[in-house]
Amino acid sequence: MNGKKFNVETTQEGNQLTVFLQGELDLAAASEFRSFMEPLANDGEVSLILDLSKLTYIDSTGIGILISILKARSEMNAPLQVVHIPAQVQKLFDMIGISKFLASN
Amino acid sequence: MADVNLQQQVRLSIPAQAEYVDLVRLTLYGIAHQMGFSFEDIEDMKVAVSEACNNAVLYAYKRDGGIVDIVFNVGDQELELVIRDEGESFDAEEKTQEPGAWHDTPLEDVETGGLGFYLMQALMDDLEVNSMEGRGTEVRMKKSITFSEEHQ
Repeated sequence: MNGKKFNVETTQEGNQLTVFLQGELDLAAASEFRSFMEPLANDGEVSLILDLSKLTYIDSTGIGILISILKARSEMNAPLQVVHIPAQVQKLFDMIGISKFLASN
Repeated sequence: MADVNLQQQVRLSIPAQAEYVDLVRLTLYGIAHQMGFSFEDIEDMKVAVSEACNNAVLYAYKRDGGIVDIVFNVGDQELELVIRDEGESFDAEEKTQEPGAWHDTPLEDVETGGLGFYLMQALMDDLEVNSMEGRGTEVRMKKSITFSEEHQ
């Protein structure tokens, strides 16, 4: 059961770093994604963009990681944008009440 | 009301490991799609059932080799999901009482505990959690089919 159902791709233009989340960000994918994101989230020099257009599934595990990224960026006053949020994912963000944090960034 | 006698049952047992939870979502998709649930309702149930399985995977067993049983009770217009583990203990009932959403919370105070239960409650029509000390946890959740015309 090692077929990867989640992966990330990054592109960088100048100091703008875009991370594309693809597939299912679930419990199985969580720890790898958390480790991947940690240095990026803590890098105050880059302007970080999370592109969720190809994110097909997320649950509280993945949302918890997004929250910790939001917190880290907010504490450093570092730029973060979350873009192209699919409708089903947006619905969960609204339900939980984190859309306001995404909008303010 | 669904006639209990007309219910059909699908059972799935998975190892209590994260990489098998996807299998529950795939099975759920197959059953719910066949029953006529909308795409949106299926997505809601996928998250809800995964949250219950995640809890079992993360908290139920203090040893290897644990199993999570998932029962799909297929009614006429309703799907009931029962997620059961035989773990040592888990404060599931207590967790369901915790607030899970952060509509009025500043970002620095946001904590992710309790979020899974909040989502299960919000996404399903009905949720019931029973934990027995040392005998595991049973989560029962139900959703009825809403006809797609209502969403358009």
